[in-house]
Amino acid sequence: MSHDELLSFDVAALGEAIRARRISPVELTEAYLGRIELLDKRVNAYITVTAERARADAARAEAEVAAGNWRGPFHGVPVALKDLCYTRGIRTSAGAKILADFVPEYDSTVWARLAAAGAVLLGKLNMHEFANGASSTNPHFGAVRNPYNLDHIPGGSSGGCGTAIVARTAAATIGTDTGGSIRIPAAFCGCVGLKQTWGRVSRYGVIPLSDTLDHAGPIARTVRDAALMLNVIAGHDPNDATSSREPVPDYTSRLEAGVRGMRLGVITELTVGTSDEVLDSFRAALKVLESLGAALEEVSIPAIESGIALATAIMSPEAFDFHRRWFPERADDYGADVRRTMETAGVMPATGYIRAQRMRAGLLARVLEAMEGRAALLAPTAGIEPPLVSNLGRVLATPGGGTVNLVSAVLRFTAPFNVTGQPTLAIPTGLSRAGLPLSMQVVGRPFDELTVLQVGAAYERARVPLPPPAL
Amino acid sequence: MARLTPETVKAMAKELYGYEMSDESAGAVANAAGAMVTNARRLGNLDLAGVQPPFGYPILLAEAERIRKRG
Repeated sequence: MSHDELLSFDVAALGEAIRARRISPVELTEAYLGRIELLDKRVNAYITVTAERARADAARAEAEVAAGNWRGPFHGVPVALKDLCYTRGIRTSAGAKILADFVPEYDSTVWARLAAAGAVLLGKLNMHEFANGASSTNPHFGAVRNPYNLDHIPGGSSGGCGTAIVARTAAATIGTDTGGSIRIPAAFCGCVGLKQTWGRVSRYGVIPLSDTLDHAGPIARTVRDAALMLNVIAGHDPNDATSSREPVPDYTSRLEAGVRGMRLGVITELTVGTSDEVLDSFRAALKVLESLGAALEEVSIPAIESGIALATAIMSPEAFDFHRRWFPERADDYGADVRRTMETAGVMPATGYIRAQRMRAGLLARVLEAMEGRAALLAPTAGIEPPLVSNLGRVLATPGGGTVNLVSAVLRFTAPFNVTGQPTLAIPTGLSRAGLPLSMQVVGRPFDELTVLQVGAAYERARVPLPPPAL
Repeated sequence: MARLTPETVKAMAKELYGYEMSDESAGAVANAAGAMVTNARRLGNLDLAGVQPPFGYPILLAEAERIRKRG
């Protein structure tokens, strides 16, 4: 089998083929390492490539499968992690100069669970510094590039994850999401991102941005791959007291169930303030869901507009508290935009934080009211197509020579669901006229990832797939 | 927007965490922090009356147990 063929399979197909010994994990890993060697200088998705580790993992997986000890769909499958996830003995930089030489002594739970499932570690992925931004224009390790157009950003903060999936330099990845950092790169790069319910997946060994808003989850090629990964990483972890004891279902169990007869709400407020192309693509996606038998209804949630203010009021002081171990003593070692967020957070009054924390339940109550009688909510994932690579911090450059504000154009759509902690799936809806990906998000009730995945899978089967980027 | 001056910001940064902020940074931070202070005030006007802090006693107990076991 050629390397191109090997790279064309999603995790679901790879798992079955490896189990049946039609694909060798060793050959598969060499195909991915070759692809990284060929492409990564251009897209800059990786901070660290763990080639020797990957080869050793693959050889072990191959021997185990040959002996009849297949562990599951990730056995022998090459994956990569956002460089925020601890990996024992392997540098974990958080995309920061401050941690450029940091080597953890233990594994994050997400990686420990994937490793126990037999996954092969290709390396650690580039990102926005300390996950504190959404462009992945990293001042220390270089800007991550959008695989559909290298002049554009991949989104962030898990930019390397989105790029690696679409450039086919990893079969699946783990990202993190505090205000949209799984969903934004999935949207801008044209792949699937799942931010599951807060507490569904352990945050142990994941360098925090904001403890009460952080989520670690899959950025993957397909909805099924995201579900398969969630099957591995979900569940209570004694090392993370905030991880949930809710039972973990088989997240693939309803992927074929369809949406016929399902009532879905379209969030009115999040269809305002988008570009025409984003809205057109979103409307076309809604038509696809209607054609599958879903009943769509506009639903107004005025309180959703408070989501970004609540998220900011919570994220800034939580991030600042974590960074006090380095800031201000090492202020010069931060990139300009992250340094500015620290400076600002340092003079914020505590009352804003406390008030925002108390109001989270109020916002969640409003969203759940809007979901009464409805299985899920729908909205664009971002209000714009991917901006240009620039060093403008929270202001992003557009092709026409203008600028756009990250908060109003992107985080306004994603951050409310970090505040409410609800499961939210980003899925591509098409390409813009300029050939850049556009995306829709599906929002579910807390711990109802099954419905979110069910809707996403039904749409994914019916829509026209995105053409691969011309890399 | 709340009036937070660059001078106040510089004094707060120095007093709170011993950080010497440049004039340029202080101006930008005064604007950003001023907007956030205004936001914090406006949050109180939204009809999203919070209830209890969202992280309850079971998590507190579990975390204490984890720390205790770690020694």
